[in-house]
Amino acid sequence: MKKLIILAFIIPAINSFSQDFTTDMASAKTAYSSGKLEDAHFALMQAMQEIDLIIGKEVLKLMPQKMDSNTVNTSDDNVTSNVGFIGTTIHRSWGTDKNVDLSIIGNSPLVATLNAFLNTPVLGGMMSNGNNKIIKVQGYKGQLQKEDNGSGQTNYTIQIPLGNSLITFAGKNCTDTQIMAWANTMPLQQIAKLIQ
Amino acid sequence: MKKIAVTGLCVCSLSFSSHAQLLKKLKDKVNDAMTDKTSQTTTQGTQTNTNSNSSGSPTNKTGGGLTNTTPPDVNQQIADAEKSHASGNYSDARYSLQQALMSIEVQIGREILQSLPATVTGLQKDTLQNKVMSTAWGWNNLTIQSVYKKGDQQMTVTIGNNTFYSGFVAMYFNNAGYMQTSSNGKDENVKQTKVKSYRALITYDDSKGYTLMVQLGQASLIVWECVNFATEQDVMNAANAFDIDGIKKMLGEQ
Repeated sequence: MKKLIILAFIIPAINSFSQDFTTDMASAKTAYSSGKLEDAHFALMQAMQEIDLIIGKEVLKLMPQKMDSNTVNTSDDNVTSNVGFIGTTIHRSWGTDKNVDLSIIGNSPLVATLNAFLNTPVLGGMMSNGNNKIIKVQGYKGQLQKEDNGSGQTNYTIQIPLGNSLITFAGKNCTDTQIMAWANTMPLQQIAKLIQ
Repeated sequence: MKKIAVTGLCVCSLSFSSHAQLLKKLKDKVNDAMTDKTSQTTTQGTQTNTNSNSSGSPTNKTGGGLTNTTPPDVNQQIADAEKSHASGNYSDARYSLQQALMSIEVQIGREILQSLPATVTGLQKDTLQNKVMSTAWGWNNLTIQSVYKKGDQQMTVTIGNNTFYSGFVAMYFNNAGYMQTSSNGKDENVKQTKVKSYRALITYDDSKGYTLMVQLGQASLIVWECVNFATEQDVMNAANAFDIDGIKKMLGEQ
């Protein structure tokens, strides 16, 4: 029942985005035909933002509803299409205290550094402090970081670069085995196809 | 979400700084290695020139370079984007939109280059060095460059988003309390000025010459890098030859 209600909100939202996309593309074609390059550019940028929002929502649809006992916080779902240095951001959390958190950031400035760490053994060694290590999730290389939150609990974060996007998956008060298991419930290959 | 964006922006400077430092170290190492190799070769004296480097592989001595390809067909890319969107293939739709945006940006860049003056205070535009670069989409990745020369004087004009300078300019303009002060009677090497009523920053460095920067609206920047210009006034005179309002309008800035 909950799923139907959620879909009832998502489908009209996507339809309205489609209408905006169609309108923007028509504006772009008209502007370009009449030589108004800047107007065409603006209309295409608007269309791009709408596509990013649709893609973001499609990615969220692929995500699991539960991570063990942590159920999804649908009110926390967020897709933001940014025009600027950072690209689209997609966010979801699970659990009553947002124990599990996922962010996907397009055009992330951290991707270059992370790729250097993952693919250069010397750099990986230099940048390692004993609390991080290289891991693989469904064949994708990533970094697992451990953090003591000061109250006897341990938090873990997995960062995986996918093209120029960065997936950051964090778990509070969990073990490395748990966070790896949760991360493996995400369909990374399908997500990669959508966002790259 | 705001935390993520702010954290990303805050860390990006660190990542770029560490990345840039790493690249500089690697570059210095290569340069040191090349310098060592050259000095070893010259001290040997009897070394003969060959067509191969020290590993025995041939070195390149010919080639026509790469030819300029025409930008993607905007109308075709728009049609492809619409078709992909209709079939639910959003990733392909996005790619087609990127191609269309890049093509339009290249066309806008070429229009801007054509609009720039042919001569500026006696320096001639070297059209062979005109460049329009769009690496993805959006003004953040668009760079338009033109070079003016006369003898050993050179002025490089860069329009677009120049990530190297834009943070520096923003820091000065957005922080009213930040001032460059002179000490020990030395001339200051960074100061605020104006170019045709636009706020600007001008810097001087003995090894680089003068650099003048004007923010264009919200997202763009125009930078004049002037080598072997005698005075600050010469640089200002050169910058005043440009139609900044016209460039702003072509970029869609307010």
